[in-house]
Amino acid sequence: MFSILAVNVAEHGAETAKSGLFETFGVTWPFFIAQLINFLLVLFILKKFAFGPIQALLEQRKQRIADGESKLKQIEQQLADSAKHTEEVIGKANADAKRLIEEAKSSATALSEAKAQEAVATAQGIIAKAEAAAKAERAQIAADLKREFGRLVANTAQNATGGKLTADQQRAINEESLTRVEA
Amino acid sequence: MRKFFLPLSALLLSATPALAAGGHQLPLYPSSPFEGTAFSWISNSMIMVWIGAILIILFCRAATSKLSLVPTGFQNFAEWLIESLYGFFGNILGDHLVKRTFWFFGSTFMLILTVNYLALIPGVGTITFLDSHGHITGLLRGGNADLNMTGAMSITFALLWLYWAVTENGVKNFFAHIFAPKGTFTGIMKVGMDVIFFLVGILEIVSICIRPVALSFRLFGNIYGGEQTMEGLMALVPENLAFLPALPFYFMELLVGLVQALVFTLLSAVFLKLICEHSEEHH
Repeated sequence: MFSILAVNVAEHGAETAKSGLFETFGVTWPFFIAQLINFLLVLFILKKFAFGPIQALLEQRKQRIADGESKLKQIEQQLADSAKHTEEVIGKANADAKRLIEEAKSSATALSEAKAQEAVATAQGIIAKAEAAAKAERAQIAADLKREFGRLVANTAQNATGGKLTADQQRAINEESLTRVEA
Repeated sequence: MRKFFLPLSALLLSATPALAAGGHQLPLYPSSPFEGTAFSWISNSMIMVWIGAILIILFCRAATSKLSLVPTGFQNFAEWLIESLYGFFGNILGDHLVKRTFWFFGSTFMLILTVNYLALIPGVGTITFLDSHGHITGLLRGGNADLNMTGAMSITFALLWLYWAVTENGVKNFFAHIFAPKGTFTGIMKVGMDVIFFLVGILEIVSICIRPVALSFRLFGNIYGGEQTMEGLMALVPENLAFLPALPFYFMELLVGLVQALVFTLLSAVFLKLICEHSEEHH
């Protein structure tokens, strides 16, 4: 292969020496300038119609993704703030509820004690009334009994004496009987 | 391996006299199919560049005719291609520079690649005419097998490089980047370093001036060499079998076409990055 190239170079060697490097490679002003303008035109057209729009679209997409990511971070932050706020509110509500329960408990205890006191007082009143009523009833019964006893004693004495007792005698008997019954 | 290479070498050596005796070879220079007319400035390689450019423009127009934020079909492929290229150059140049210069590197890469591959289409270089010098010349010629084309691209890049380097660095920093000592020195050391870096700067200027020459000859040499190899191989066998020895080299040329497009644009990007390195850090 090198031999082929060597032959090729040898063929052009004389020409190279004669006409110089540029002519050997066919570098001439018309061709070079035409290629230069050609290349610049291609660059311009590709920049304007190909790489420009696609690059702009890629930038736009990258921007949208970046925006989306920043919004996502914002939303995450908001979510975290909201969770923290909710936790705080729940904590506060729990504390309030505990406090209310404690208050209710303490007031219920106080009320219960008051009611118990009231019940005790009422019961004591009822007992006192009952005792008073029982006492009065006993006194009444004792009085009735005395009266009945006196009557019985008077009747018995009347019957025994054949109805010859005077009123004073009868009264004295009654009084003595009663004194003995009471004793 | 020896079984394969020995007959191949014998075949190639036996063909040398045939070639030397005037077998068909690709000339080093382009020719104009319109020589003697007002369009003699149109070379056979330029026609190939036009075809390549038209194909790229048609491709891009088809891809961008109905742009939507959610891409489908052709737009998807074009976006994948351009986004990949953008990422590739972005890794070299950085975010700021790639945004500014991608149109050049992307266009140049696609143009070189398309023109390289177009040159492999059968008929390019083999459909011939007799030029004014009496040489048998291809009606079409690989666009990058013409030093005018590769030179035009290199010169364009060199001018754009200068413009981008000066606008990114500022005139003072541009020259400081080339000539100023790297590092902080004092006393006699500073004087010595100033002298050394000034001389290094002169070498850098020479290197900068040689870059377009190297870029253009590298691309031209590789593409011309590939085409010449295939032309030579085709001349080894009877005409009706001419495609056979060149066939394996088509695959290699497909690779070379891509690699050379990459090398040209990659080196250009690296040259630009080197001069803008310090200013890029500020963005």
